[in-house]
Amino acid sequence: MEVGQMQRRLVDYTKSLFMEGFLDAQFLQLQQLQDESNPDFVVEVVSLFFDDSEKLLNDLTMALDQPNVDFKKVDAHVHQLKGSSSSIGAQRVKNACIAFRSFCEEQNIDATLRCLQQVKQEYYLVKNKLETMLRLEQQIVAAGGSIPMIELGF
Amino acid sequence: MNSSNGNGSMSTASSSGAWNGRDQFPAGLRVLVVDDDQTCLMVFEKMLKTCLYQVTKCNKAEIALSVLREHKNEFDIVISDVHMPDMDGFELLKHINSEMDLPVILISADARKQVVMKGVTYGACDYLIKPVCIETLKNIWQHVVRKKARNTF
Repeated sequence: MEVGQMQRRLVDYTKSLFMEGFLDAQFLQLQQLQDESNPDFVVEVVSLFFDDSEKLLNDLTMALDQPNVDFKKVDAHVHQLKGSSSSIGAQRVKNACIAFRSFCEEQNIDATLRCLQQVKQEYYLVKNKLETMLRLEQQIVAAGGSIPMIELGF
Repeated sequence: MNSSNGNGSMSTASSSGAWNGRDQFPAGLRVLVVDDDQTCLMVFEKMLKTCLYQVTKCNKAEIALSVLREHKNEFDIVISDVHMPDMDGFELLKHINSEMDLPVILISADARKQVVMKGVTYGACDYLIKPVCIETLKNIWQHVVRKKARNTF
């Protein structure tokens, strides 16, 4: 596949992530922060996000698996995940966290377990999408091309 | 300035000296940013550097406080997350307000009115909701100037 084709494919793929709500404007901010002095910024932040999130999801799973669930602790973890997902623009994860927190406040164990599943699902979806997108970018760069800037009418 | 211990760490992005010259202002504004979430901390650091500020990042409030105590006149403004384990943003804010004269901005994904109210009444000069965009950070120098102006009169 030649570079122009790869670039078009990347643009279409990235646009679809925004259209489908996986990513929001905050992700654009991250892309705009990337420059020659920090050419891997987006990859680095996204990797950090993956590391943090997997730890948080594990902590959440354990916390909700206790005989007496400490909802304050659960809420603290969800709050952190909400913060980090919103900081990178992972919109659907963030939204899943918002719903999660309201059920924590109600101390509703069934609903919070469902929310955990929902958050996990959204996380793995966006992880997959971001990895695909970043792989496409790598292929373009390896072929000597440059990453096209996405123009979106927000 | 670099220090670290087993439980937390902080690092400075640049080691240039004190903020010099009003011509370049607000470039060189000396910011201490505190957040226990490393993803958020990395994004803030990059944004603040892009604003040409001198950034020191820290992932624990206690470390931030000891740095501020040891290097009293080397910071212009503190940006801190609210919900952190051990010492939270409110406690850090209280300490800073009682011990030194620095503007403190609180940042959180928590937009609940009672929490924002708490921040304001505890003396935060601003309370920003995550995700924070770079345009907002470009304006934080106003808090530094405002505080200095208040102290002069």
